[in-house]
Amino acid sequence: MGILDYFRPVSAMTAEKVREFLRNKKPEEYNLVDVRQPKEYERGHIPGARLIPVGELADRLRELDPDKPTITY
Amino acid sequence: MEGGIRAWEGLLAEGVPESRMAFFTVASRPEELIGLAWTLEEGSRKFYSEISSLLDDREAITLFQNLSAAEEHHKLSLMNLYKVLSGAEPDPGFPGSLIPAETSGDLMEGAVRVSEALTWAKGKVLVEVLELAISLETNSYDLYIKMERQMGDENSRRVFVHLSREEKEHLAWLAVLLDKKL
Repeated sequence: MGILDYFRPVSAMTAEKVREFLRNKKPEEYNLVDVRQPKEYERGHIPGARLIPVGELADRLRELDPDKPTITY
Repeated sequence: MEGGIRAWEGLLAEGVPESRMAFFTVASRPEELIGLAWTLEEGSRKFYSEISSLLDDREAITLFQNLSAAEEHHKLSLMNLYKVLSGAEPDPGFPGSLIPAETSGDLMEGAVRVSEALTWAKGKVLVEVLELAISLETNSYDLYIKMERQMGDENSRRVFVHLSREEKEHLAWLAVLLDKKL
């Protein structure tokens, strides 16, 4: 066993898969969260994304519906 | 989403050493978790210390030096907790005697290689380096929350709660500077 055995790969959706997902769902069917900083969000974000900077995420989880899939970037 | 907004915009992220790994406990003893956390802190300390020398921005250099010092404090907190839990001084092989193999110090939070991250950072703009540091601190924050849940006694949990709060604070430092430099 090596030190890397303490970790497991985290699977992530490709941008293409996310496009397809968003195309096939209504906005009320998912949480789409932009975890970058406000200025980055202002410069451009995925349509419909909600801004919750990563440092605030743990304190603002209640803003997300746990029954819906969540996509973050 | 893999590759973040750059991938969405059709841009290729150039070998960003972002973490695609998350801590998943296979450790059975608290001492083992402490040894793992200490090793990752040492990797982060090394990264922050060395990244400072690649940058020109005074504010960023100061921030990364502060982060490096903070990781050193975390190592000390972990070492002290180890002494309390084990009732003994760490042996000279610490933390190699607690966790399996590969304690060369080239691994940091999120199982990102320090050497790989430093190679990537050469020639990158400050904003990109800050974004990487934010992802590392996010992993660190996540790691300590998970480790706190694994700890059996109140005192150990307090130490890990303290560490996770500090990682959250580091995230805030980085976010403030990133916002300023955008």
